[in-house]
Amino acid sequence: MYVRSLVRTLQRCRSLTAGGVPAAAFRGATAAVTTTRGAHTDLPVPDFSAYRNSYADKPNEASSRGELGKRAAAYMVLGGGLAAGMVPTKDAIVGLLSTMSPSADVLAMATIEVDLSAIPEGKNVVLKWQGKPLFVRHRTAEEIDAAKNVDLSTLRDPQADDARVQRDQWMILIGVCTHLGCVPIANAGEYGGYFCPCHGSHYDTSGRIRKGPAPLNLAVPKYKFETDTSLVVG
Amino acid sequence: MRSVEVAEVKGLKKMAANWQRAANGLRAGYRWFTGGQSLRVTGSRGKAGRSPMFYGAVAAAGVVAGYSVVSVAAAEAELHPPKYAWSHKGLLSALDHQSIRRGYLVYKEVCSACHSMQYISFRNLVGVSHTENEARVLAEEYEYPGDNDEEGNPTTRQGKISDAFPNPYPNDEAAKFANNGALPPDLSLVVLGREGEDDYIFSILTGYFDPPEGVEVREGMAYNPYFPGGVIAMPQQLFLDSVEYEDGTPATVSQMAKDVTTFLRWASEPYHDDRKRIGFKVIMVTSVLALVAFYWKRRVWSVLKSRKIVYYSKGS
Amino acid sequence: MAFGNAVYNALFRRTSTFALTAVLGGVVFERWYSSWSDSMWERINRGKLWKDIAHNYEEADE
Repeated sequence: MYVRSLVRTLQRCRSLTAGGVPAAAFRGATAAVTTTRGAHTDLPVPDFSAYRNSYADKPNEASSRGELGKRAAAYMVLGGGLAAGMVPTKDAIVGLLSTMSPSADVLAMATIEVDLSAIPEGKNVVLKWQGKPLFVRHRTAEEIDAAKNVDLSTLRDPQADDARVQRDQWMILIGVCTHLGCVPIANAGEYGGYFCPCHGSHYDTSGRIRKGPAPLNLAVPKYKFETDTSLVVG
Repeated sequence: MRSVEVAEVKGLKKMAANWQRAANGLRAGYRWFTGGQSLRVTGSRGKAGRSPMFYGAVAAAGVVAGYSVVSVAAAEAELHPPKYAWSHKGLLSALDHQSIRRGYLVYKEVCSACHSMQYISFRNLVGVSHTENEARVLAEEYEYPGDNDEEGNPTTRQGKISDAFPNPYPNDEAAKFANNGALPPDLSLVVLGREGEDDYIFSILTGYFDPPEGVEVREGMAYNPYFPGGVIAMPQQLFLDSVEYEDGTPATVSQMAKDVTTFLRWASEPYHDDRKRIGFKVIMVTSVLALVAFYWKRRVWSVLKSRKIVYYSKGS
Repeated sequence: MAFGNAVYNALFRRTSTFALTAVLGGVVFERWYSSWSDSMWERINRGKLWKDIAHNYEEADE
């Protein structure tokens, strides 16, 4: 019956467009087929009851209530899975980012502990810290006075002594001349602090530049006093 | 003529081969394959492509036969270590840290006289077998080369917690010279680097015997059937009470061998405990995820999977 | 089922609230899961870990 109607439609189209473009005839044919197909009322509906969920096995009751519960359970499972999936996701991101932080052996070398009880007053000790010379100076009372009683306006790189020390008697400096990177000599120069032998920069007892080509004061690293006799730099 | 040369090829397998015999076999096989006429190969249709394969097969048979005879001779006295019930062997078993601590003592008092551990630092002991202060004190027992002084002379300094375990010898040559020409291997990765792992290390340390009849052991060497070849340059090191444990454990040879092996296992795998702990977490959570993924796949596909296409014949 | 429906209507119906629920649930789950798995690990290996023997040596420091 189906095939016969198709053939009949084709014949009808051909007669209508006699000698016209075949494509146009075909388009008309498709449209005609769908309209001729009609309802399936002549076919028996198969039995799906073996496949139905319990909430939908009564054909004359709405399934929406039970279906909502079913969907809630499904999304509960999905939400639980997403929540559980957050753990490996987070760990993967943290793991990737932590490759950017320094490794344990670098961290172990990053700090230096200094025993202050071994440094007598007036002495400057040179240590090696992260490949750079580190000055630890036990200042005398005169040196502290000299460092404090300076008119800041006369300085090239104005900085108060209080801003450069945590405890007045201990001056911690990175021993690299700010001019061209030589290592200054302690207890030398016109101001009794440091003197750079390369180009003659004079630093005072607070490590501030006073005379010579260097533009800046000697740098002060990050440090803290663990106890009265123990200093940790870095 | 053909059958004679086939016999020659077969005879090759029985004889312990050397290269000369393999070459003979090649020649024989070549002649056998080409039916005794070598000219045919170069001139034949299609056969020239197959003969090199045969060539190779005969050569391989000869080589295998030759080497297997040699290796059987060398391995005749080798003893494989038994499998011991290490407390860290299970999928979720951590290392016994008390044993690591005792094992470090054994390493320090016995092994470290000859063996270095270049990849382990004193700081690695912190939180594993020692406190930070203890590790600091251990490191300070040793001297390391320091910076040059103002006059350019080399100096020494006290060990720091960030230093690696010291090497008992300044270089490999000095180590060989002090040990009859044998280089004591670095122990950082020795457990992973030997077949049999923990079992092998334990067996070597406890496996010293008098050499059996007919085994020649040179002066300065020792007989140990677990060592490949049976003769080892390291004489027995562990004897009853070689060390005194601070926790009162009796220092028997097997106890010390077990402790130092556990310590060396930790040194080879400092991440051992984390590996198992995190592996457990990962497997647990991913199996839950697998179940969820399976459930969700079933749900999404249910519409497609539960379709039913019914065909009716025209008449019904 | 009423509870399930209430949860569904309040949290799961909109994608935005569903995603938020999953993220917050992930935070809660992670805290619980790591503490649970670590306690599991410590229970299985009781007596072998450093934390079980550390007290013997830390007292000596002080």
